[in-house]
Amino acid sequence: MRPENYEAQRQPPSNEYELNFGPNHPGIEGNYALKVKLHGDIVLEAKADGGYLHRGFEKLMEQRLWIQNIALVPRICVPDPSPMELCYSMAVEELCGLKVPQRAQWLRVMQLELSRIAAHLFTFGGHAATTGMYSTMYWGVADRDLLLDLFEEFTGGRVYSIYNIPGGVRRELPEGFLQRLTETLDYIESRLPDYDNLFFKNQVFVKRAKGTGVMSREQALEWGVTGPNLRATGLAFDVRRDDPYLVYDQLAFDIPVEESGDAWARTLVRRQELMESIRILRQVVEILPDIHGPIRAPIPNPLAWNVPAGETYTRVESSKGELCYYVVSNGGPKPYRVHVRGPSSMHAVQVLEKMSVGSRIEDIAQTMFSLDACPPEVDR
Amino acid sequence: MSRLQKIPVVEEKKGNPLARVFDDLVRFCRSRSLFILHYCTGCGAIELPPAMTSRFDMERLGIQPMVSPRQADILLITGYVSIKTLKRVILTYEQMGSPKYVVGICSCTVNGGMYWQSYATAKKLDEYMPVDLYIAGCMPRPEAVISGLQKLMDRINSGEADSWQDYYRNYDYYLGNQQKLFGEDWQTPTDIITEAKHYELMGEGTLGQHTRLLEQHQKPLEALEMRLGHNIKEPVE
Ligand code: SF4
Repeated sequence: MRPENYEAQRQPPSNEYELNFGPNHPGIEGNYALKVKLHGDIVLEAKADGGYLHRGFEKLMEQRLWIQNIALVPRICVPDPSPMELCYSMAVEELCGLKVPQRAQWLRVMQLELSRIAAHLFTFGGHAATTGMYSTMYWGVADRDLLLDLFEEFTGGRVYSIYNIPGGVRRELPEGFLQRLTETLDYIESRLPDYDNLFFKNQVFVKRAKGTGVMSREQALEWGVTGPNLRATGLAFDVRRDDPYLVYDQLAFDIPVEESGDAWARTLVRRQELMESIRILRQVVEILPDIHGPIRAPIPNPLAWNVPAGETYTRVESSKGELCYYVVSNGGPKPYRVHVRGPSSMHAVQVLEKMSVGSRIEDIAQTMFSLDACPPEVDR
Repeated sequence: MSRLQKIPVVEEKKGNPLARVFDDLVRFCRSRSLFILHYCTGCGAIELPPAMTSRFDMERLGIQPMVSPRQADILLITGYVSIKTLKRVILTYEQMGSPKYVVGICSCTVNGGMYWQSYATAKKLDEYMPVDLYIAGCMPRPEAVISGLQKLMDRINSGEADSWQDYYRNYDYYLGNQQKLFGEDWQTPTDIITEAKHYELMGEGTLGQHTRLLEQHQKPLEALEMRLGHNIKEPVE
């Protein structure tokens, strides 16, 4: 060691001390850090320190063709990549005035909901691990793998499916896929009571999560909170219902709401959303065989594709919250500007900073997982 | 190429045959109990939980995650390394005790992958630290990760995985690349040169123009004072 290089700055004597929480820390989600100031184990101040995963997406997308960007966008949010492709494709379709065939829209709904279930299972696993219950993590990850198998079958990729292209989807379903989808859904539904007993009703979890990281509805709206975190404060807002895209207006589903706005409520909202997603998927399985037709609208030669000039703003509901793309085209072969408004950049920075204050240091990890923040999307 | 030629060839020591048997045994044991420090530097990290948990279960091979770099054997770099992360990766690597192995997962660690033109990522990991094994793919499946690690076990067992010595022998080269990225006054808290002397791994490339810069920018050591506070104020509520 050369202490001379890492000499601590002289501070006036006090009982406060600072800690780096992350980036290489088992309790933090991904590659992300917080600088916390503590007195005992009570957090006095927290400062988010992101940028470890910055790749400069918005600049990279300006340098690639419209079609090449499809391969780039899922990387923005790793645990839930499908809404990223979809939202970008929807933006390009809007700029070009492309009409997406019915069958493609249903296939897209199927992909989105599968991705939502997978992302929620993963979050439950991570959240349980922060409260010391590792078996839930093992179960959650193993069950998520069954969904990844389905993804692999119908899109070709386990995690990054790159299934959408502007104008539709890339492939038809393999034979007998809907049957296997139903079996997997049955299996996951049959597992849920076990999850309840292991995790959601477990006193270890309930006692620690109740009253941790509380926010009121007014605060949530002020801080720009969306998705399940907003619904956990009692406001039933869901882009799927309130600004429907694809065919969500033809599907029946409820918007689960909880009132208390703490980590417990947020987790319960996700737990109920799992059921709603299964319900949506069952409707898709029923309706999809009756919808025939093409899966893709004709598009011009993708390597020399000049998208008409204009700008657009599209939004979808991802498993983390409201995801939006602002895309500007100047009529050229590449986007002029793409801006991604991800839900996690609000949740992981301003909300987490404010919520950590006053809590104990061991609850920071839990708060972060209950907000379901996704660091790659914060940094982009 | 010139760097490769400089690696000295260690001749087989004609020592006690019993000691050689003992060395083999140590290598065998080492390869069967590996602790990985997995630093989620990029998106490849998402395939690590499936590889570690029930379905693919890396533990049956004796590989387990470990949270602290001091006790870990393998540094797993899971994906693209942004420049801010690379600093932390290097600090982590230097803190690990030898013998240590670096595994680069994902194409992004090999040549930049998807982000070959990005301004924010470091493209080739082996310019900054010696890498034992790459597992390419975007992203590699859990099976690929596991078979890659099995290959690493074989190499440890046969004594081929010794690239950590390369860091000591060619410290100047690695430090030069690090300085190119982080500036001339880049310092790490670990004293690699003293360690190299201790391990008797001083090579021709250990010292050079870049290590001279290192010494030039070192701050002089000041005496630290320590006081036990009796009249420390409680924080203002
Ligand atoms: S190779 Fe692909 S999966 Fe791996 S870090 Fe790079 S972009 Fe992500």
